[in-house]
Amino acid sequence: MPEILALLSGTFYGLLIGIIPGAGATTGLIFLFSFITLFPDPYLAVIFVMAVVAASTTGDTYTGVLLGIPGANSAAATMLDGFPLALQGKATYAISAAVTTSTINGLLWGSLTFFLLPWYTNLILIFGVPELWAFTMLALATVTFISNKWWVRGLIALAAGIFIGMIGVDPNTNADRWTGGWEYLGAGVQMLPMIAGLFAIPELIDGLARRKNTADSTISNGRQTLDGIKAVWDNRWLALRGGCIGAFIGVLPGLGGAMADWMAYGQAVATTKNPDVPFGQGNIRGVIGPEGANNAQKATSMIPTVLFGIPGAPFAAIIIGLFAYLDFELGTVDLAMDTKFFDSMLFGFMMATILVAILCILLTKYIAKIANVPYKYYFPLLLAFIVLACVQYTGGWEDYAILIVCSVIGISAKKFKFSRPALLFGFILAERIESLSIQMYGLYTFDRLLTRPIFWTLIGIIMIVLVWGLTKRNKLEYA
Amino acid sequence: MKRLLLSIAATAILATSALADYTFVVPQRAGQGTTVWAEIIAKELEPFLGESITIKMLPGARDIPGFNKWHNEMRDDDKTVMVSHGGNGVSFLQENVDYDYREYDSVGMMNLNIIAGKRKGENMDKPFFPAGSGMVPEAFAIALMICGPNKSIEEYITCFKENVTWVKGMKTAERRLAFKRGELTGTRENPATYKKHVEPDANAELWFHHGLLQPDGSHADDTNYPSGYQVEQIFKERWGVEPSGEFYNAYKLVKSFRDGLQKALWVNKDNPNRDKLAAALTAMSKDPDAIAALIRKNGDYDWYIGEAGDAQRDKLLTFVTANTLQNLVKFNSEALGLASVYKEGLVD
Repeated sequence: MPEILALLSGTFYGLLIGIIPGAGATTGLIFLFSFITLFPDPYLAVIFVMAVVAASTTGDTYTGVLLGIPGANSAAATMLDGFPLALQGKATYAISAAVTTSTINGLLWGSLTFFLLPWYTNLILIFGVPELWAFTMLALATVTFISNKWWVRGLIALAAGIFIGMIGVDPNTNADRWTGGWEYLGAGVQMLPMIAGLFAIPELIDGLARRKNTADSTISNGRQTLDGIKAVWDNRWLALRGGCIGAFIGVLPGLGGAMADWMAYGQAVATTKNPDVPFGQGNIRGVIGPEGANNAQKATSMIPTVLFGIPGAPFAAIIIGLFAYLDFELGTVDLAMDTKFFDSMLFGFMMATILVAILCILLTKYIAKIANVPYKYYFPLLLAFIVLACVQYTGGWEDYAILIVCSVIGISAKKFKFSRPALLFGFILAERIESLSIQMYGLYTFDRLLTRPIFWTLIGIIMIVLVWGLTKRNKLEYA
Repeated sequence: MKRLLLSIAATAILATSALADYTFVVPQRAGQGTTVWAEIIAKELEPFLGESITIKMLPGARDIPGFNKWHNEMRDDDKTVMVSHGGNGVSFLQENVDYDYREYDSVGMMNLNIIAGKRKGENMDKPFFPAGSGMVPEAFAIALMICGPNKSIEEYITCFKENVTWVKGMKTAERRLAFKRGELTGTRENPATYKKHVEPDANAELWFHHGLLQPDGSHADDTNYPSGYQVEQIFKERWGVEPSGEFYNAYKLVKSFRDGLQKALWVNKDNPNRDKLAAALTAMSKDPDAIAALIRKNGDYDWYIGEAGDAQRDKLLTFVTANTLQNLVKFNSEALGLASVYKEGLVD
């Protein structure tokens, strides 16, 4: 019974935190530090934490689809087509498709994660510095040349994102870089205000300017729910490809977050010939692709986290801290022998994935009513939640100032069609690209690189992406 | 729904502003090593202190801004305690920071060691080792062991650059994986993470450690590891003489500030609560149940509490001379490429 209570409370909490704009798994997990030790048994806390991870990932679909605001960065890709669908009165259709594909991939990759841990260990060890570098470059190429129609502006946005992402510490000299003497920037621009500024705030402002509901979603009906499930079946290979991309990125340390979703979205665009509905205007494949990735990524990112104590994604770094707080030292032999720990993780993640799917299907028509609440009522609430999420770094005025600056950048990028996803990717991956470049230069000669076939395969794929992006016209207008 | 969202907001605000008697300021984010250590300490210390403790995280670049903020704005509060780590000690020596250990009283500190591992069968005269400001003592140790005695600081710099591939840009997680993959031939960890990440690796073995700082300023062998792996022991075994000279003194300075101050609790000088805190910490450190979690995390290492902590700090400061500081900065700048500064004000 206590296990069931932990599961239910974690699922409800995760769903709620997922729905809150600007929140998501990472923020929700940070809140847990306040009360995680109140559990009488630490294994119950493990169930609770894993339920939060699974439920928040599904929950953040709602804000992306209904409000055009990503609950967390993982929902930003879903938003591209989910939100236009909601504006067309098909919110339930989009959510049903999203929940279905998210659940299937969550269960599939959740099972494979916990049953095939030794195999994933080998994969991580095969990917060295050059492969990680090439893979990160592939992500940048994809988001710049595939996710946006205006690739020149995409490149400029990418460069701007990289510039902002490089503010902080120079890894070569360990000295502050581009901080203007402001000590606060020594640790770089924080991710949450950047994400909120780029995506959440511009959409909120847009909604305010329109002075009406963000989405004119109709109350859901059973037909839309079934249509959403059927759409997933009709696009089952797309959904599974999205899951594969999410799972693959999740298993690589540090490469979690939005990358899988955007790559899955990119592959949805790239593999759709002559779409009936243009992408960015409510194509259901633009929902199914990225939603297939996010739960799969959450599941597999637990592999490096649990096996080595190395976070597979930003949220997993918080989990390491939470579990340490509970006296579970990830990455130790002792823990690897603790079957109850793994059973708790498995139970929490898998059961919450099923439970949240049921809740979402049953409650969608009620949750969809959010869109019918007059904007003047929920605008301040949404803004308050976003601000609350963004000022957790220091809580000082600096957090607010950074959020305002990021919001100005986001609003400008949206207005002048500079790709916000490319900007975000540049920002998130700047530090990684720089550090991997430095590491590759330090560790590898050209001759040594010649012996690494996966590296050259990835370089080949990057070239294909570049050529495809520069020559094809089937690209998004979303910026 | 609006009511529901309001209640969530209220809960969140309450959860982040819990009422507490003492505040432990940590210069890191949630989940990072010193934060976790502080959380364990706070949890175990509360019953002995009889008052509640809340953790305030003030993260920032190289964990300096949080310590600076405590120094400049918070230390006058008698119930605000700073939790620092060895990296802060190294930054104190070679960076323009506001905080200054000379102005505080010690509540207590754990004297730890740092352990270096290597890949079995690799030529460690030409190691591939991860860079970073936290690795400065390892760089000195490697230069000493490879290059031998009786060399000038310039000769050590040249020798280091010729023989050591100092791989920059690696975060902790990246270096662990790179070591597991064999891209790095050497790495280093604190005792707990060494047990977790290096010891279980069948392809890895102990390379060296720095020994444990003693109250008289010497470094004793760490009995948690087999004998013969302390840098001084390896040096003597290989080169036939004890390490000495200006370069060795700079090594001793930087390793002592990092390892001797690895985990430390500070209050402002003459804080009226210091004795109460120290007494509670003493009681906690003698309680096997309370200390068990810390031993599991960090290993069984000595505590220096209250005045003993002050004495440890004062001993460390005797290592600071113009020569040692200048050599530290020169090696950092020219061999490691770090932006270090010579802080004349540290030299009495």
